[in-house]
Amino acid sequence: MSDRRRLIMRLAAGALVLLLLWLPQYVEAFWLQTGLFAMSAAIGAIGLQLLVGVTGQLSLAHAFYVAVGAYGYCFLAGGEKLGGGLDSPAGAQLPPWLAMILAVLLAGALGALFSPIAGRLRGIYLGLASIGLVFIGQHVLFNAKGITGGFNGRDAEPFSLFGFSFSDTNPDSFAVFGVPYGGLERLWYLGLVLLAIAWWYGRNVAQSRPGRAMQTIRDSEIAAAVMGVNVPTYRAAAFTVSSMYAGLAGVLLALAFAHVVPASFGFLLSINFLVMIVVGGLGSIGGAVAGALLVSALPQLLDHYSGSLPLVGAPGGEGLQPADASNFIYGAAVIAVLIFAPGGLSGLGRRITGRRRVTPSSINPEPKESTT
Amino acid sequence: MSQFMELLISGLSLGCIYALIAMGFVVVFKATNVVNFAHASVVMLGAYLVARWHGSLGFFGAVAVAAVCCAIVAALCDIVLVRALRRRRGSEEVLAILTIAINIVLGTALAREVGTDLLPSGAPWKSDVTHVLGVTVPQTRIAAAVVALVLMGLFWLAFTRSDWGVAMRSAASDPEAAALSGIRLGRVAAGAWALAGALAAIGGAFFTSFPAAGVNNTTGLLALTAIPAAVLGGLDSTAGAVVGGLTIGVATTLAAGYQDEIAFLGRGLSEVVPYIVLLLVLLWRPSGVFGTREVTRV
Amino acid sequence: MTSTEVQDHPAEPAGALLDVRDLHVSYGGVSALRGVSLSVPEGEIVAMLGSNGAGKTTLLRALSGTLAMQGGTIDSGTVELKGRSLAGLDPAVIVREGVVQAPEGRRIFGELTVDENLRAGAFGRGRREGRAEAFARVYELFPQLQERRGQQGGLLSGGEQQMLAIGRALMAEPKVLLLDEPSLGLAPQVLEKIGEIIQLINRQGTSIVLVEQNAGIALKIADRATVLEVGQVTLEGSSAELSESDEVRERYLGLGRGPQIGKVEVVTPVTGRRSALPLTVEDLTVRFGGLTALSEVSFTVEPDSTHAVIGPNGAGKSTLLNVLTGVYRATKGRARYGDAVLTDLRSPRIAALGVSRTFQNLALSPTSTVAQNLLLGRHRLTKAGFVSAGLRLPAARREQAEQERVVAGIAEVLGLSDHLGVPLTSLAYGDRKRVELARALCAEPSLLLLDEPVAGMNSEESQQMARMIAQVRETLGISIVLVEHDMAFVMGLADRVTVLDFGLCIADGMPDEVQRDPEVLKAYLGSTEGSEEEVGEEIGEAGP
Repeated sequence: MSDRRRLIMRLAAGALVLLLLWLPQYVEAFWLQTGLFAMSAAIGAIGLQLLVGVTGQLSLAHAFYVAVGAYGYCFLAGGEKLGGGLDSPAGAQLPPWLAMILAVLLAGALGALFSPIAGRLRGIYLGLASIGLVFIGQHVLFNAKGITGGFNGRDAEPFSLFGFSFSDTNPDSFAVFGVPYGGLERLWYLGLVLLAIAWWYGRNVAQSRPGRAMQTIRDSEIAAAVMGVNVPTYRAAAFTVSSMYAGLAGVLLALAFAHVVPASFGFLLSINFLVMIVVGGLGSIGGAVAGALLVSALPQLLDHYSGSLPLVGAPGGEGLQPADASNFIYGAAVIAVLIFAPGGLSGLGRRITGRRRVTPSSINPEPKESTT
Repeated sequence: MSQFMELLISGLSLGCIYALIAMGFVVVFKATNVVNFAHASVVMLGAYLVARWHGSLGFFGAVAVAAVCCAIVAALCDIVLVRALRRRRGSEEVLAILTIAINIVLGTALAREVGTDLLPSGAPWKSDVTHVLGVTVPQTRIAAAVVALVLMGLFWLAFTRSDWGVAMRSAASDPEAAALSGIRLGRVAAGAWALAGALAAIGGAFFTSFPAAGVNNTTGLLALTAIPAAVLGGLDSTAGAVVGGLTIGVATTLAAGYQDEIAFLGRGLSEVVPYIVLLLVLLWRPSGVFGTREVTRV
Repeated sequence: MTSTEVQDHPAEPAGALLDVRDLHVSYGGVSALRGVSLSVPEGEIVAMLGSNGAGKTTLLRALSGTLAMQGGTIDSGTVELKGRSLAGLDPAVIVREGVVQAPEGRRIFGELTVDENLRAGAFGRGRREGRAEAFARVYELFPQLQERRGQQGGLLSGGEQQMLAIGRALMAEPKVLLLDEPSLGLAPQVLEKIGEIIQLINRQGTSIVLVEQNAGIALKIADRATVLEVGQVTLEGSSAELSESDEVRERYLGLGRGPQIGKVEVVTPVTGRRSALPLTVEDLTVRFGGLTALSEVSFTVEPDSTHAVIGPNGAGKSTLLNVLTGVYRATKGRARYGDAVLTDLRSPRIAALGVSRTFQNLALSPTSTVAQNLLLGRHRLTKAGFVSAGLRLPAARREQAEQERVVAGIAEVLGLSDHLGVPLTSLAYGDRKRVELARALCAEPSLLLLDEPVAGMNSEESQQMARMIAQVRETLGISIVLVEHDMAFVMGLADRVTVLDFGLCIADGMPDEVQRDPEVLKAYLGSTEGSEEEVGEEIGEAGP
């Protein structure tokens, strides 16, 4: 890539960062919440990309780990008694920052627990078994009312750090450049920081020694072992890291909507994440973020603008529902990407910036048979 | 004890339906090495078509026509989409993702069509029951079991005796060698998908008959349970599909029947049981009960 | 053509039945055939010779239409059957046109019975009449198959499977029968039988294209022959001419001079000299189901020596390397490296002992750059993990910089410095093989196992590779086990040679001893008495 191109890229990146920092000054709540949702999705997508795109393990259990993160946080941070006879779910009442860390670690631990099982299963059997985790998880969420609040779910304790609460209170009026910053605005920056860390860490891993080992496991597991890579350990690590990402995504999700319900953590959520990384381009961390933004923002956008879009009807009303329309678009997008543009969004991006890279068109190409 | 027998027989009859659906899934995998998630939507499509047309065509007529329609839809999925990705030499994981996408599109369209309605399948036996071995069994289930057994028998005969069966088995064993023998792989693949579509439709029609209430917008998700049935038997084993289907049928029915005794495990356990059983089986036999263990030669 | 009539060769030269002109084929940008032309006159047997990777199977795939299945494309040139172009047709259509292949490795349908295998072949007929006669003809040619009609294909012996493969192809009543290495893994007596049957089929009116590595057998039964080397035709003529030709003898009968290595420059290694340990293989046996791949193989590799393992295709050479590196389990016997018992260990533990290898079919990461592939080779010697690399701690950054230096050094020795930042997919096949070697070296092995390092290379590239290997040996002082099919290449480099055939060790000693061993000659050339004498004469003249 030429120096001039590099400079332009740097400037563009810088401008984007400034824009992101400034946004809460200008936009309304709907966009902030959509943005937070997108950030959560992006964090989760990076995790899934490390597992599926980089290490080549097809897992559909991501929704399960997101749920663990979300409900884990709610449980660990919550548990205050509400007034007036409502029996609220139990909680550990830990400080929110600790609850966040522990929730992520819990998700990681469960990921590590699943990996020996995953290690015994080859390719597609793994994907199929992982679906089971999601259904089982949802079942627990619906039924363990004491902890999860059952069908109606439970609230999420607002995040706070050193006494500064990321909600509308505490401080009650916090203004930046004259614009009042409530919960969503404050969470926005928390989300940006978390996403930035997630992206940075993900790229570092993918481009360094562990990332190389993981890619070799994807491209030729036998060669990896022969070159000294401890395949079971790396697979376990990939699962652990991936589920920690999912856990963090869950925490952010809980904070963004201040409430979690079991229905959001079903099979469809796992599929959504898969769509994100395929559309973004298998194997690319940046692509995962791009795909996540697209997939998470789309239904919200269609919902919001259903009035002015042709074909799309208002939610609950006549005509093509926004949710259905998004589903159609996802399905079609995945099909189109897989058949016509396996590099996904990241492949397109590379074509624009002129960088050369080949995206794997297969997750796990088999070594050819020997003739000797 | 008689409750157990009743549940067991009921479970076996449900299992026959699952076996039928699972068999279609396995046939596609054996012939084309694709895990076809879209199968669940095709089941729902078949059930939906039967629910819509049984009035004008009668139940059996509707089932026959639905089977043909689903066969065509499934074959089209193969010819238009799967083959395109094949040409790009996608791996089996990527092909599976493609079928997931097809499932999303088809499933959403169907859920939209059905909306909030509950459409009965119009099976002629309605809610009649018979007594077998001192146990009450819905007649629809008996019919389902009979149909399933007959179809599986016919399929087995065709698979092991006919030329078509030879072509399918050759293509499953070694596609390149089969092509070199003059077998048209494209036709074998389309044929397998079409067969799967037909089986899905028939299975779907019985799946949504009594004692099930009918077709609603969650039918697609419920049909997904045929996948654990196929997997636990071994993805490339048609015998496994039968065993898997029966196992899942029995497990689900027992879980629903003893609901109260195991209430501490939560309500709605019967919907999760297939996946629990699947995980347990895969822990014991990672390639399913009758699946072939992969041997990678370097 | 009925099964009982035998036709003589037409006296006057017939027009070409199958005509290939200036064919260029590539697999994803890597050129496999460069301007190959071949003409098969009606009623003749044409042999196609060449070593592994020469492009013979690629040519057959182009003829049969199965290139696309393997990711290959015809870039230019024509393939015509009696004037009708076959390019781009569905393989099943080509079979119906009359061009039928019995593929390499037999590839019969193991789970189907003999009878069902033939039924599968009958699909190529395109019409139902005559099926019964076709069955009759095949069973007449191969009475053993008739005895075993109801048996599963997978249970037949190698020779019977080869007969079944040919029989299956004959069911479609081909005009041209393409045979891909029918001699693979077959015992000499069986080979003779198959050779006779091929001639009989030809006399009954079918033209035959016989692809072979075993030049002796091929030249004996063919009318004409073509030699392919790295995707190009280098020799052609009648088989009589070619069996006299010195060039053919040198190249494909493994005689004549080996690669000119000359004086090796001892370069100060980027990584230090290693001290190798002796590798002892004791009674090593490997069985897969009913197939015995290795049977009680024993030999010793002294430290710092180069030991070659040679043998015809299917002899078990790659299996041997796979057992030594923990990819396969040994059924009996063991292998020791120093005191460590390799056969008890898993691959990463074996790598930790300093054992490194290359793969015959290249097991690199196609989407990564050359540098990244080489850096993977450093895996066992480095430590950065998810924490230190993920957080870019100073220790990890230092390690990365150090590793990049080492990798650059090794790349330079192998002439890959210019390619470091390039994705692997844009490299030519020969360069990729060097990357594979470089990666193995990056692991700083004391025992290096090379699996057919020059398959698919022309003689210039082979020379280069030979020099590099010699240099590596001198500079680093490591033991090398070299699995190769190219006898000439091996003779120049090896200190000792072990010869495998059918999983058995049939010879073990110094290169010139082995070259003269009659058992070895029989394994490579087939039992042809006449040629043995001539070969003996030739060896007397040739030198290392």
